[in-house]
Amino acid sequence: MELDLFVRYGPDLLRGFGVTILCWIAGSLGGLVLGFAIACLYRWSIRPVRWVIEGYVELIRGTPFMIQLFILYYGGPYMGLVLTPVQAGIISFVVYGSPYFAEIFRSGFNAVPKGQIEAARCVGLSEARIMRRIILPQMLVPITAPLTNFIIILSKETAILSVVTVPELLYETQTMAAETFTYIEPFLVLSLFYWLMVIVTSWLGGRVEARVTRHLKRT
Amino acid sequence: MDFSFDVIAHNLPYLLAAARWTLLISVAGMAISMVLGVLLCAARLTPNLALSAFARFYISFFRGVPLLVQLLMFFYMLPYVGLDLPAIAAAILATGMCSAAYTAEILRGALQAIPKGQAEAAEALGIPSLALWRRILVPQAIRLGLPSLVNELILLVKVSSLASVVGIGELTRVSQNITGETYRPLEIYVAAAAIYFVINFVLSRFGRLAEKRLQIG
Amino acid sequence: MTTQTPSATAEALISVRNMSKSFKDFEALRDITLDVNRSEVVCLIGPSGSGKSTLLRCLNFLEAYDTGEVRLEGELIGWQEGTAQPRRRVAAGTLRRQRQHIGMVFQQFNLWPHLTALENVAEALIQVKGLGKKAAQEAAMAALAKVHLSDKAQNHPANLSGGQQQRVAIARAIAMEPRVMLFDEPTSALDPELVGEVLTVMKEMAAEGMTMVVVTHEMGFAAHVADRVAFLDKGRLVTLAPPADIFGREPDDPRVRSFLQTYRERNVV
Repeated sequence: MELDLFVRYGPDLLRGFGVTILCWIAGSLGGLVLGFAIACLYRWSIRPVRWVIEGYVELIRGTPFMIQLFILYYGGPYMGLVLTPVQAGIISFVVYGSPYFAEIFRSGFNAVPKGQIEAARCVGLSEARIMRRIILPQMLVPITAPLTNFIIILSKETAILSVVTVPELLYETQTMAAETFTYIEPFLVLSLFYWLMVIVTSWLGGRVEARVTRHLKRT
Repeated sequence: MDFSFDVIAHNLPYLLAAARWTLLISVAGMAISMVLGVLLCAARLTPNLALSAFARFYISFFRGVPLLVQLLMFFYMLPYVGLDLPAIAAAILATGMCSAAYTAEILRGALQAIPKGQAEAAEALGIPSLALWRRILVPQAIRLGLPSLVNELILLVKVSSLASVVGIGELTRVSQNITGETYRPLEIYVAAAAIYFVINFVLSRFGRLAEKRLQIG
Repeated sequence: MTTQTPSATAEALISVRNMSKSFKDFEALRDITLDVNRSEVVCLIGPSGSGKSTLLRCLNFLEAYDTGEVRLEGELIGWQEGTAQPRRRVAAGTLRRQRQHIGMVFQQFNLWPHLTALENVAEALIQVKGLGKKAAQEAAMAALAKVHLSDKAQNHPANLSGGQQQRVAIARAIAMEPRVMLFDEPTSALDPELVGEVLTVMKEMAAEGMTMVVVTHEMGFAAHVADRVAFLDKGRLVTLAPPADIFGREPDDPRVRSFLQTYRERNVV
């Protein structure tokens, strides 16, 4: 293994790692917020609006992320939207993730038994209160696992951003490999690195899940 | 902004021809995924510790590394170990091997969703264990797992776009090529998105139909 | 028909007039007329699917009845006053105010599992009645004392038995000081040995003068606690009479007779 290679390209790789993390976190957070807004809008709106939302969800989920990224990055300028690769990457992440997050939130809303919401209405709690005090704290239980799962999926999708020259980890690794004609070691190390990232994230997700389900345990 | 449908109409035949490669990669990938997935699931559930540890490792690794990185690694590695596969075969193999990790977990989840009492009832009746698996557990696991398996196929249609990166002329790659000639990325990529969408829409409706027909009772 | 037409008395707390309710093609309730007086206990009995629960859920507009009226102390519940068709729902805030006066207890308790017993009871006191946290907790403790659960205030529902959960649910409702309490098969989800503690609490409430409408399969409770018993069948109110007239002698109506026969065979009454 050519260790000095990793020393020489260390700063570049580190910067690439930073960009990967930036796109991942910004994209996930944006997708979470947009997804939650979509799920709420769906819950409280009339039928035509629901159809529009359903169409959006189906459309985004039915097409590859790479094509969505290309439409935004290469097609954007034709719609007056000129973006840097990183900007395009983050925005397309937000758009791509939002319907998946929305579906998770929607299933979370539905997972709270109807009777509990009826009981809340019977004592006169308002819809906003019911959302904040009854639904939100409880839906954390069923949604933590799928949320973690999807955030992990997003962490891996960051690799695709290299295709539009976002200088993230895969892009920097490819540059290093091409400049030094060494392929096997860099990609092995890169794989291990992503793998580790996924294991750590799912461990963290498990911790969060254990925390939000505390009150359900019999003592 | 001038969105030209003429550009789309003119290039549609090329895009549709490329979509056949997209379908080939996903369907062939799914076939590999099913076979390998059943084996992995069985290995994961055997009492044999070495086998089940290997299955665990395989599933964790292939689910933990981005498919694009796997694809690139496959490409650089194959010549290294002296395997001279055509690019398309390598792409299909890599896709199928990755997907198998997910398929194995889908099947395992479905198996675990079958109430334990059914196996106990079979045991009480003296039904041998191979027959129990073949006649009672596996058919139900496929039924229970069908929605997820159709989802996995739809996922494969979408990830087949990654094969463009290693130069395979499927839908995404051909779109890029046409864009390079026409300088109309918006029209071409929207058209490509529409084709992907139609494929997946048909698959998901088909999946629902199959689900209904296989429904118990 | 043996239905005793209730005289529309001035002191009727709840008055239901010609109320009907359908779900798509299924006619769940047909032309129900019924008065519940102050401090009265009315039990609704009848075979499953007879509409008892639907009737109860129409009283606080959890189900929107189609035609007719439900009034609490003269105020129309759920729909706006007036004869315009189609009727319009009252504003969300108005419905919340109306419901505050109608306590409800469900078959499945419907406690909020992420809150303690005390928090379950105090939640609406704080958010709806606008009590301060301290005052709400005191009121909630008082309500829990009434259902004999002062010592379980800090438990989450997962750490309470079914009977205890149902008593917390009762406390949650009575803490709002409702004018009337609705019970929807409050003991049907309980193990037999836990039924008694819930019925005891309900008897005590009745003795204190609470107005109650109870959907139940506990014929003993209906016979001994109810002031009047309503028998429903296929969405119609067949009989409304004091329990002695229903349980004490052979009922005239064959539907009531055959319904009670199944209970007698099981030695319940």
